[in-house]
Amino acid sequence: MKLSEILSPERINLDVKATTKDGVLKELVKLLKLSTPAQKNLIATLAAREELGSTGVGNGIAIPHCRSLVVSELVIVVGRSKKGINYQSMDRKRANLFFLIVAPPLGDPGRYLIALGKIAQVAGLICGDKRAKDIKQRKQFLDLVKELEE
Amino acid sequence: MNPQLQILIALQDILFMIREAKDPSQKKAMDKIGFKMDNLASLESTKSDLESQLSLPILSEYNRLKQRYGRIVAPVITGVCYGCFVKIPSAIHTSESRDATLHRCENCGMFLYWVET
Repeated sequence: MKLSEILSPERINLDVKATTKDGVLKELVKLLKLSTPAQKNLIATLAAREELGSTGVGNGIAIPHCRSLVVSELVIVVGRSKKGINYQSMDRKRANLFFLIVAPPLGDPGRYLIALGKIAQVAGLICGDKRAKDIKQRKQFLDLVKELEE
Repeated sequence: MNPQLQILIALQDILFMIREAKDPSQKKAMDKIGFKMDNLASLESTKSDLESQLSLPILSEYNRLKQRYGRIVAPVITGVCYGCFVKIPSAIHTSESRDATLHRCENCGMFLYWVET
């Protein structure tokens, strides 16, 4: 599975403005262009997942995720915040790179877990890559993901 | 969207999450990636809160479907109920106000949600 084949430039936001966890979730979900009720449902499910345990995995990375009826296929959205936000991450550092992943409940559970694992791996590589901070174009970011996962 | 359908969708998402959090193999896989799933009490509380917002007849059907199938809402994709894979009558499927009404599959009885594709 290639993340760069699931991710598209329209689902990358390199200048997340939100300053709270809920705000980040809203800003990322908006990029999925769902109807207002579907967005509301998805944000509530993601917030419930955060209650179960923060998806801030440390090193400035958060990977909010859930399974939801409102999507028909596995989708990924990426966000980058310059200032970073308090995401209740395990290492207590602010998170500034967000990978949102949502899968339909009836989909292959293996594919969902593989995608989550790959995101965790690629997000770690992006964090350690000096070029990542200076990227201004969404397409450039996608190219970096492609390069790092090869 | 019908407000009761919106609650049922939220409940179904929560039910899946609770099931995953209770499944030892899923929990192990999530732990391995670095995700914690420890606060189950919070999910159970959200579930109870949502259940309390359902009307009594719908709550009764919700409990029946949950017990029988383990899920309550079936996604409809290209006119097919993904609970039982039977085609939905076109009069319902093509109706502009289909999400405003609470529809159920005539075959499996699950509540229907037209997924945006």
